[in-house]
Amino acid sequence: MIQVLFFGPVADRVGSRALQADHRCGMSLQSLHDEVSALYPQAFALVCFVAINGEQVRDMSQLLEDNNEVAFMSKFSGG
Amino acid sequence: MKAAVRIQLEDFSQDEEIAALKASSKRMGGIATFLGCARDFSEEREVAEISFDAYGSMALSEMNKLRSDAIARFNLLDARIVHRIGTVKGGDNIVFIAAGAEHRVAALDACRWMIDELKQRVPIWKKEITAQGESWVVPHP
Repeated sequence: MIQVLFFGPVADRVGSRALQADHRCGMSLQSLHDEVSALYPQAFALVCFVAINGEQVRDMSQLLEDNNEVAFMSKFSGG
Repeated sequence: MKAAVRIQLEDFSQDEEIAALKASSKRMGGIATFLGCARDFSEEREVAEISFDAYGSMALSEMNKLRSDAIARFNLLDARIVHRIGTVKGGDNIVFIAAGAEHRVAALDACRWMIDELKQRVPIWKKEITAQGESWVVPHP
C-alpha cells in the first residue's frame, strides 16, 4: 500500500489530506502521479513538487516500494 | 536548551534565541537575524488571520539540512531557525532566523540566504483569512 499525502491548497482541492493506493511490482512515481491526477485534475494543476518518504524527488521514473509515503505538493509559501 | 531548529505553535523569544546562539561560541563577532511577521493587509484586503499547513516531518528535516548547509557554506559558528504553524494574527511572529559568524559579512549573507532557501525548500503553506474569504498565498519572489 502507498500512502499518498496532500497539504495546503492541494489538500483543499482533493478534499482530503491522505489516501491509499495499491502498490504494484514495478510501479513508478509517474504511474502513481498519473493515476491520482486523473482523479483530481484540479488539485494536480497546482502540483510542483513530489516527495517520497519526506525526500524531494525529481526523477518521476523512480520505482515505488510497498509502504512508501508519497506527497504531491504545490509551491511552498512559508516564511 | 531548546533545539536550534524547531517548528512550533507557540510564539518564540528573539532574546532567548540570540542568547542560545551566543552561548555556542565566544568567537562570534557578528550575529544577523531575520524576523518574519504576519501582515494584516495583503492584495488590497484586510487580513484577519493567517493559518499554516506543513508537511511536518519533511519541513523539520529540510530546516535542519538548511541550517547545516548554511553553517558549511558560510563558515558560521552556529545558526538557528524557528517557524511557527497554527494560526497567527497581524503583527504576530512567524519565522526567526539567526546566523552567527566571526565577522558580519558571513552572518548577514547567511541570514539572507537561509530565509530565501527556506521559502524554496521547506514544505509549509500559508493561507490568508479575510472577511471576503480564505486564500492560499502565492509565493513571492
